Amino acid sequence: MNIFKRLSSKPILYYALGLLLLALAYLLSAATQDSSQLNELFLIIFGLGLLALVILIGLLIRSLLRLYRDFKNKKPGSRLTIRIVSLFVLLILISTTIIYSFSIHFLHRGIHSRFDVQIEHALGDALELSRTAFGIRIRTLLRQTRMMSSVLSEVPESEFNANLRDLTQLSGAVELSVWTMKGQLVTSSIQNPNIIEPNRPNEAIFRQLKQQQDYIGLDPSDDGRLRLRAAVRIPSQEIEKEQKMLHVLFPVNEQLSSLGKTVEDAYTEYQELNYLKNPLISIFTLTLSLIVLLTVLASIWFAIWISRRIVHPLQALADGTQSIASGNYNTLLATTRHDEIGFLVRSFNQMTQRLTHARHSTQLSHRLLEQQTNHLGTVLGSLSSGVITIDEQHLLKTANIASSEILGVNLQPHLEQTLDKLENQHQHLQSFVQMISKALDNKTSWQQQIERRTDFQSQTLMCRGTPLPNNAGWVIVFDDVTTLIQAQHDAAWGEVARRLAHEIKNPLTPIQLSAEILQSKCLPLLPSDKTELLSKLTKTIIQQVAAMKDMVNDFSDYARSPGLNLSSLSLDTLIQEVITLYQSNNKHTIALKKYVGLTLELDSNRFRQVLHNLFKNAIEASEEADMAVVIDISYSIIQQASTDWVELKIRDYGPGIPDDMINVLFEPYATNKTTGTGLGLAIVKKTIDEHQGTVRTKNQEPHGACIIIQLPLQRATS
Amino acid sequence: MVFTMPAFVIAKATLLSFCLLCFSLASEAAEQISVPHAKVTKAGNGYTLNATIHYPLSPRIIEAIDHGVPITFNQEFQLTDTFFLIGKYWPWKNTLWSSTIRYQLRYHALSKQYVLIALDTSKQRNFPSLEATLNALGTVEKLNLPPEYLFDLNNITLQIRSGVDIHALPTPMRPGALISNKWQIGSPWVDAVWP
Repeated sequence: MNIFKRLSSKPILYYALGLLLLALAYLLSAATQDSSQLNELFLIIFGLGLLALVILIGLLIRSLLRLYRDFKNKKPGSRLTIRIVSLFVLLILISTTIIYSFSIHFLHRGIHSRFDVQIEHALGDALELSRTAFGIRIRTLLRQTRMMSSVLSEVPESEFNANLRDLTQLSGAVELSVWTMKGQLVTSSIQNPNIIEPNRPNEAIFRQLKQQQDYIGLDPSDDGRLRLRAAVRIPSQEIEKEQKMLHVLFPVNEQLSSLGKTVEDAYTEYQELNYLKNPLISIFTLTLSLIVLLTVLASIWFAIWISRRIVHPLQALADGTQSIASGNYNTLLATTRHDEIGFLVRSFNQMTQRLTHARHSTQLSHRLLEQQTNHLGTVLGSLSSGVITIDEQHLLKTANIASSEILGVNLQPHLEQTLDKLENQHQHLQSFVQMISKALDNKTSWQQQIERRTDFQSQTLMCRGTPLPNNAGWVIVFDDVTTLIQAQHDAAWGEVARRLAHEIKNPLTPIQLSAEILQSKCLPLLPSDKTELLSKLTKTIIQQVAAMKDMVNDFSDYARSPGLNLSSLSLDTLIQEVITLYQSNNKHTIALKKYVGLTLELDSNRFRQVLHNLFKNAIEASEEADMAVVIDISYSIIQQASTDWVELKIRDYGPGIPDDMINVLFEPYATNKTTGTGLGLAIVKKTIDEHQGTVRTKNQEPHGACIIIQLPLQRATS
Repeated sequence: MVFTMPAFVIAKATLLSFCLLCFSLASEAAEQISVPHAKVTKAGNGYTLNATIHYPLSPRIIEAIDHGVPITFNQEFQLTDTFFLIGKYWPWKNTLWSSTIRYQLRYHALSKQYVLIALDTSKQRNFPSLEATLNALGTVEKLNLPPEYLFDLNNITLQIRSGVDIHALPTPMRPGALISNKWQIGSPWVDAVWP
């Protein structure tokens, strides 16, 4: 089966089959010729033709089934193959039918035209003429035979032999013989001495003579010549005697015999051919039909094969196209053809190669783009500035890590969301979003600084917006400048404090000394009623100067930044030590709520100063408002922005902080107290900042305030 | 188109008639040639066969003869020796001698005679009627049997059969004759009666 399949795909099989069919057609045609030597083999050749027909039908059915299966399975190219095959079949059938019809017509006409009624009549007449020509001689010879019979009837039987010899010579007969009516030879005389036995008349002649009828007729002899046979009863005088007959064979004239034979042969042959006319037509028609059928079937089979050969490259092209459509760009089709289809296949291969190159280029570009995107992402990710992009429909397109950190919101889940939605979901972004929305109305670059209040503190952002090319949106870069501004603020205050301390502190000591000298020198010189005044004045000067010195010292402390002297301290112990200093007053209730046992890296003196300032502030605030001095201290570890913090809360139950003071509480001179320098909380903030912590304040319900200090835990060791 | 249609019709009619002919020939069985009488007679030291063969020719064959078509008849004779391998149920026949005599029968139109030619000897006999010809053809007289096989007549069988030699017919008639019962009229083998 595999061999057959391999063979069936090779053209040589088809050419061989075509030659075989041609040979078969020739043999069939030759075998129908009457003179051919193949005539004897007609039936075998016809059988071979039928066998070839059956094989061809089988092959054709197989091919058609294959074609139908391909069409049913929607195999590429099957539809085109069927179309081409149908066209071929139509052409083959039309042309063959026309040729077949004409051939049959000519065959019939050709055979019928050989037989003409006139010729038949002429031949019949010729035959009849020949018979007539023989008839005269027949009648003469019959008379002659009867005469010979009369002669014999006159002589006794014993003399028959001698008389026969004489009669033979006289009559010119070839043979004379006397037979009894039962068929026994009596005597004979033969002219040819080589022939011993006379020719025996057949039973029909005996029967005719028995019916008293003489017989005479033409008789074809073994050598093909004609002769005349006559048989006459020999009249007998004696009734009881057995009846006998004279049987004579006369020769026929050579020329007459030859002519008669010619006419007989022609007539017989014509009759035979006329009789064989219909079988002959049938045979020719059958042979022609077989050849036509073989040709038609072979042509259809060949048409299917050639259609497949034509369509095969197109099918390969369709497969290749599908392969390319599915993403396989390495499809190359083989072709050795030099026609238009070969050109098409080569063009297809060129297209495939170009597509492959283009695809590689695209992939390369894509990789480069990805690399650039990653590079840009890394750059943006490593920026401390927040970078976000917004398209023209105010959708958030990209946001780097810093932007999420600065705004305190993870912006990644909010990508592809509108700014309004972002604002609704995160109220503290309200001011930021509103500023951006307003700024985006300008189509040019802009820069703006905004203050936004977070849960814990206020934040200052410096925003810069730049429109992207092709109106693709905006890129907004923003920085948290809170620390910078605070630092600038602190530096300014530090400078003020330093100058103030420097300019004021220097004259204070001479003033104090002068006042003391004035008191000591001038007091004895003054009358007693004046001494009290002097003493009071100088005391006032000295007290005020002392107060001013304290103030100047505070300023000096604030301005001074000696650097931290860090050491590991137990927070519990430190707090407890400071609390101890305040326990002398029974009215004060200051307590650490919970001992956590945490150790932190702190500057001991300066953190004590922080606690003192805070306690003092709380006590003063409560006492001024005539409220009980109760201070609760607690601390815990919290996690904020993926960093662990120690959160220290100092809560009092005083009047709380006025609203207008909350934002400026930690700035110098931000105080509503009648006493104090207003630097206590500013120093607290500065110290905490130096510890890289934060401090903020919050009013508590129903009253009181809470100072919340957050210190980074990485400085701590538990 | 004028030529096409009649030709097509003729072709169709021919094929149809051929098929019908095939069916009709296959369905109608003609009378078979028979051998009603076959007898071996001792003649001197040897044996001769006398037999009568009946040739009931079908009208189709008679028509062919009357139209000048020569018809060849075969007369086959076969001398067999029978062995019984296992009892009488498994006979084994050994052909000792066989002979075929072929006769050609044709009609001579000029003389209105039926000519019977023994093809082996070219001996010719003429008859004024077909019946007389068939009678003569069917008469086997004193056919000498080979004496070398006839020393022991035990288990010796002489069989006769006769039929029309279809392969001797003209080519156009042969396919029709091969599938037609009217030509397949050969007799079966008939055993001759021994003295």
